[in-house]
Amino acid sequence: MIAEPPTERSPGLAPRAWLIWSLAAVTVALSTDNPVYRGLVALAALNVLLTWLPPGRRVRPLTVALLFAAGLAALINLVAGHTGADVMVRLPSDWPLIGGPLTVESLAYGGVLGLGLAAALLAVAPLSLVLEPHDVVDAMPGPLERTGIAVATSLNLVSGFGRTFTEVSDAQRMRGWRPRGLRSWNEVLVPVVLTAIEDSVRLAEAMEARGFGAGRRTSYAAASRSRRDLAVVGAALGAVGLFIGLRLGGAAVDWYPYPTLYLPPINPALVIGCLALALPSVAMPARVRPPAPAAPRSANG
Amino acid sequence: MTGLPGRLGAVLALTAAALSVAALASLAPGSPLISKCAGAGLGHAAVMVEHADGSVITRCVSFGTATVTGQALIESSGVAWSGQTFGAYGVAVCAMDSEPLHYTTCPGQDSYWAIFVSRGGGAWQLSSIGISTLTLTDGDAEGFRYVPAAGTPASPPLPAGVCAAASPTAATARQAATPTAAAVLATATTATAAPPATTAATAAATTAATAAATTEASTAPTVVASLLAIAGATTGVAPASSVGPAAAGPSQSPRSGVDPGLLVAALAGGGLGGLALLRLVAARRRAP
Repeated sequence: MIAEPPTERSPGLAPRAWLIWSLAAVTVALSTDNPVYRGLVALAALNVLLTWLPPGRRVRPLTVALLFAAGLAALINLVAGHTGADVMVRLPSDWPLIGGPLTVESLAYGGVLGLGLAAALLAVAPLSLVLEPHDVVDAMPGPLERTGIAVATSLNLVSGFGRTFTEVSDAQRMRGWRPRGLRSWNEVLVPVVLTAIEDSVRLAEAMEARGFGAGRRTSYAAASRSRRDLAVVGAALGAVGLFIGLRLGGAAVDWYPYPTLYLPPINPALVIGCLALALPSVAMPARVRPPAPAAPRSANG
Repeated sequence: MTGLPGRLGAVLALTAAALSVAALASLAPGSPLISKCAGAGLGHAAVMVEHADGSVITRCVSFGTATVTGQALIESSGVAWSGQTFGAYGVAVCAMDSEPLHYTTCPGQDSYWAIFVSRGGGAWQLSSIGISTLTLTDGDAEGFRYVPAAGTPASPPLPAGVCAAASPTAATARQAATPTAAAVLATATTATAAPPATTAATAAATTAATAAATTEASTAPTVVASLLAIAGATTGVAPASSVGPAAAGPSQSPRSGVDPGLLVAALAGGGLGGLALLRLVAARRRAP
């Protein structure tokens, strides 16, 4: 196998630091119902993403997904939860599920749910928008490495399945096939399934030829841990520890707007914990430097 | 394998989101009905239940621990009830003393059982947490009123006198001891009007905090505790109230100054939001 020369890359955070940061931010965002903490986590994650976003990467799909998830969560809670003292509109009670009073409190709590989803999505966004695919695999703990590759490869087959379906159905149409009932789809589905199986076998052979499963995954350069990585990991773990510790200690971490709205309780220590998650946005990516010469080892997997 | 981390990230996010939504929406069955008789114990707390037709049930429940949850209190009171757990809120009361007789949704769409708490004989405060999370101590009261879903729920009748015969000493001592912080605040605001009286009240109330520990366990009311209670009452001091997260709720007692937590959160949110806006503008300028 011909080893490609190492490409010039920005010396950013270590992939494992990114993974720990993402998991910590998701944990904090979903461990509380308080909109203040969730909003701060979302803002911190947004800052981190904007700081490290490589040029040319599009954020529009993420923005659309955020708005859709948050809006849907707020809408569902508004129309399905009929609790609260401040009624905005009263729908006829014989309407299934949505009938009854629509309250400000339900809307507020739906907004909190949506904010949590938005914060969680923003927290995991760097794994797809900042890191390269092999970085994510490298970031996984050793025992999960092969499982991660297998799962990722399986997910990759889904899009391949879709492509094959389009190609086969187009080819069949050109041969005069037209959909007429369920049975007629056999002429499309059978070739699609057979093609998918052939693709899987071909992929498995290709991976085996590249040494998948022969040993631990190797790389051209050994991953190094900088002080910046340690600081980011420490801040992320500290934030999670703070939230869990104070929750176990009986501090008011959550907010529940029923039956009437009130200001969420805010603990300054937890605010600082949320701010700690913004540390990667302060640890700016360094200037692009020529890669250090490293003796290439084997490149299997 | 291009795009794999994107799918991994999306799967992770969707899984986490689904778990959180499921956890929030999960409903657990309510507690079984338990009937017990009120008896002698270390502390006493009143339970008041007001039906939609205005009929009121009162109970004085004793307990042997320093604090008791609202759920344990209602279970010990002998009033039949059922409830459901709503995530972080805790247990909500769905039916009480056969009102409503049957229900399909909890809380009810038209009416529901509002939960109130009174600290040390003070005014009712609407609780923003469920009865499983609500903690009460000696001299407190837990109130329930079946109210319409729309509008601000009206509170039940005042709990004064429900537990008066049960623990006069403890109630008196607590009333004198709890206003310490509030008494200091009252001194600051009314010092120019009547300095000698407020100073005396503050000193008395401060002493009460230490005296309460001894008087609370006693069976006979002491003269000191009674005098301190009167001193607290004459300065217009309201008993301290805190219902966990509900301390910041709609019925909280007025605070002076700015909440430091709110200030820190506003600064942090403003800073992060401003920074994100600047980065967005810079990214747009860089874009071709």
